[in-house]
Amino acid sequence: MATTPRSGGAAGSGAAQRPNGTSQNKSCQFKLVLLGESAVGKSSLVLRFVKGQFHEYQESTIGAAFLTQTICIEDTVVKFEIWDTAGQERYHSLAPMYYRGAQAAIVVYDIQNQDSFQRAKTWVKELHKQASPNIVIALAGNKADLSNIRVVEFDEAKQYAEENGLLFMETSAKTGMNVNDIFLAIAKKLPKNDGANNQGTSIRPNGNETNRPTNNCCK
Amino acid sequence: MASSKKVETRLCAVTFFAKVHPGDVCGSNGLPLTPNSIAILGRAQRLKELKDEHLCQYLDVIRDKHERTIVVSEYLGCSLEDHIQRSSGHHLEINEILRIFYQVAGGLNVLVKHKLVVHNLEPKHILMESDGSRIKLFNYGLHHMTKGGAYVPFPIGNIRYMSPERLMGQNGNIKSDVWSLAMIMVELIFHIELWPKLKISNVARKILALGRSNNVIEKLAREHQCYEAYLAMDKDLRDLLDRCLSVLPKQRPLPQEVMQHSCFQSVVESLARKEPKPDDGKPKPLLLHCPLSQIYHLWQLAGGDVQAELKKEGLIRSEAPILGLPQIVRLNGSSVCPKRSQSHLMDDRVVPLKLQPLIQRLSRLPAHIYFPLLHSPRFAPLQQQFASELQQLPLIIRERDIEYQFHRVRLFATLLQGYPHTAELLQREASVDIPPLLRGPVWAALLDVLPNCSYTKIDKFTATSTDRQIEVDIPRCHQYDELLSSPDGHRKLKRLLKAWVTAHPQYVYWQGLDSLTAPFLYLNFNNEELAFLSLFKFIPKYLQWFFLKDNSAIIKEYLSKFSQLTAFHEPLLAQHLASISFIPELFAIPWFLTMFSHVFPLHKILHLWDKLMLGDSSYPLFIGIAILKQLKTTLLNSGFNECILLFSDLPDIVMENCVIESQKMYEATPKSITHRQHAVPQQPLHPLDIGIGDVQLKHLQTEQCPRISAKDVQHLLMHSSSELALIDLRGILEYSHVHVPHSINIPFATVQLGEQRLDALNVPQLEAQLRGRIVVCVSNIHQHAIEFSNFLVACGVLRTCILHKGFNVLHSIEPNILISN
Repeated sequence: MATTPRSGGAAGSGAAQRPNGTSQNKSCQFKLVLLGESAVGKSSLVLRFVKGQFHEYQESTIGAAFLTQTICIEDTVVKFEIWDTAGQERYHSLAPMYYRGAQAAIVVYDIQNQDSFQRAKTWVKELHKQASPNIVIALAGNKADLSNIRVVEFDEAKQYAEENGLLFMETSAKTGMNVNDIFLAIAKKLPKNDGANNQGTSIRPNGNETNRPTNNCCK
Repeated sequence: MASSKKVETRLCAVTFFAKVHPGDVCGSNGLPLTPNSIAILGRAQRLKELKDEHLCQYLDVIRDKHERTIVVSEYLGCSLEDHIQRSSGHHLEINEILRIFYQVAGGLNVLVKHKLVVHNLEPKHILMESDGSRIKLFNYGLHHMTKGGAYVPFPIGNIRYMSPERLMGQNGNIKSDVWSLAMIMVELIFHIELWPKLKISNVARKILALGRSNNVIEKLAREHQCYEAYLAMDKDLRDLLDRCLSVLPKQRPLPQEVMQHSCFQSVVESLARKEPKPDDGKPKPLLLHCPLSQIYHLWQLAGGDVQAELKKEGLIRSEAPILGLPQIVRLNGSSVCPKRSQSHLMDDRVVPLKLQPLIQRLSRLPAHIYFPLLHSPRFAPLQQQFASELQQLPLIIRERDIEYQFHRVRLFATLLQGYPHTAELLQREASVDIPPLLRGPVWAALLDVLPNCSYTKIDKFTATSTDRQIEVDIPRCHQYDELLSSPDGHRKLKRLLKAWVTAHPQYVYWQGLDSLTAPFLYLNFNNEELAFLSLFKFIPKYLQWFFLKDNSAIIKEYLSKFSQLTAFHEPLLAQHLASISFIPELFAIPWFLTMFSHVFPLHKILHLWDKLMLGDSSYPLFIGIAILKQLKTTLLNSGFNECILLFSDLPDIVMENCVIESQKMYEATPKSITHRQHAVPQQPLHPLDIGIGDVQLKHLQTEQCPRISAKDVQHLLMHSSSELALIDLRGILEYSHVHVPHSINIPFATVQLGEQRLDALNVPQLEAQLRGRIVVCVSNIHQHAIEFSNFLVACGVLRTCILHKGFNVLHSIEPNILISN
């Protein structure tokens, strides 16, 4: 399959396209994947982050959805390319296609659902084993607006996150609490100064073996 | 005149407000509470199914602003209350009273069978035909639809007729209605109005005091100065009423027992005689022979607007919104608002909906439109004559054209009555269009559904491991729709999904099954079995094996076929998408797994599926291509990111164009081109067909162009050779030895495929020879055919395919199609 390699090039052209011509700013793009049990609020977090909206009856995600958002940290423009995956366990087989080659992951659970927290731990384990070794993982305890009926304690999750080297925040897609912050925290933690970081960036999910090498090569 | 007056009051509307939830309160799941008017809407649906001569049929429940609920139902003559008022001084005869008594009990008896109670039985809710012969209960569903009054801010029922136990707060027993009925009869027999001047609290006291009496009627008679009438009462009747007014509900008779009482003997006889109605010279308009649900539907199409009628009567009054703004908002969020205006108070007036204009408008139509005679030799020409011109118009217009819809509704209603014997004709008519009113049963018929009560036997209640997933998916499934978002809608969807999973041990619940089920539930809200069986038949027809626990092989094959067909119909687009690695796995899984029901709103799905139902399992693939085609310009000018963003947020697809396009491609594609080994074969395999295991996934994934069977090539050659261009890739010698007439010989060994231009082949007028045809690449070396077909796709040649099994398979065709030298 003849594929044009996108890595590196895309980041460069992003800088050139900026209208105000402040091209001395660095720009990077990162592939981020959201994982977690279904109905914990993955799509809602993305929707809040990307569009500032919240839909009470956010539809379930089948397969995966893709969105992008650009933020600025100091003098760096960071573009997130976000893959929002389906939560149902059955769609698990699709997940590697999305987290392979991702620089960051947000593993989401619902603070009023213990099972979703256990599932989040499983995801973290899988990411440590299968994903890129430098991947930045954040744990998000979502639905923090319902903390009066929480089941998963803040300290418990916090401790787990520290033990496993994860960023951790409790978030609420509904109120917007900590939503931007968690993405910002990830962006800060991602290495940006080195151009090489962008080399591996491929926003395309690395699906089958045939196009993986093409994605990583650089013309 | 008299008859037209009768006509005027066939339909009516009443309105009330549902209780408003306090602002900003959420349920335990963090979601906002379902508005009570939506809950009412959901509960009221089943009332529409009650059809009985003693019950006014429910036709519609409409939500308006601020939790207003409007109920549309049948209406008849005038209410008992009006009748008494109008004929003051002229009292009802005892046999007339018995007639009412008997028929109301008949209505109650039907409700018992449906486990319903009335609880607002009063003279206002008993309607009588103007000649007094027929009695119908009205507004009897209020208690049910409001969940015993829980969803409304007012009490249900008139206190004067309430039984003592209801005053004590016990609801849900039909015997309370028997009490109310008996109280109304007492009023009629004694020609009195119970406690006309007492305040509500005193009436309640009076009723509770009746509890201490061992002869309620006697006490009532004495209180209202009609003891003499009491003494003069027929003993049988007095005995029956005594029992109906027993203080303990269990001592009261059931409606059925009431009906069997000896005092109704003469009533039963006279009702059975069915005296011919006095003919006033004017025959009943034909329209009134049609079911009320159809009449109401047409009334709406003809511009009938319930809200407007209510406004005209002053039941809905609009006020400037500014007048409702709070005057003070406290920091804790509570606010001080101006007093709610009078228009928000309960007003139980009944507003008639006028039918006369509709009847007049449709009276011009010939009788064969009202009652189509399917088997008459004149059926087809008559139908044609009526509808052929309209059928040229866009669907949207046809669906709003009242005469046309009337014609279609009557035709399909007749076809459905004759189903399954009319299946063929139904299929043919459905290919023209499907009347929205009857879509649910028509789809079921197109899917060969035959209700057999199997649904009731399926376990829908035992907890399973899938329950959690189903429970989190349902509150997110098409919730913009009022019916599907109502608690009844949720319960029904859950039952359907659980039943489907239970009925298919070989399959599992995949997210998306909820969206797939939703259209069937939406269309058959009151007929879960039909919804279930439609789904049951739909899945094997279009989604065979998709719900296996491991469905990856099926999905991969399906998506590869999708890519091939895209290359077949849209070579340049396919080329571009492949070049940016925009593979269907990234966007098309929700399309096909849910047959687009997850990506489009219901009203679009309905029109899409109208056509889908008529096609085979390959049809959805063409819908997918039609969507790509509609976005072609954008896609061709976009890179990967823009493309995937476009599909994450699927833009407005014009459904009518999409349907027309997919239909065109579907018809222009030979069947074998769509071959998938996981599809259910439609017909037994022919030796010249593509065999079940012939084309593996790896072939599909490496071949950009689909394969065509020798059988389809033969068919094209014999019947439409002008649609076929056969490119023979064998050497000149082999070609001159034997070849297909009019085939183009381009020896593969001699061509340079480096340049992606047809001219580079140096075949004169090749482009013209291929244009508009199905281009079949034939070789005995399969790899040659693959490479050459890829070249053609790169050159943008439409409808390129490869002959399955190569040239040699053509030798086995009988009769011979080859020319040999």
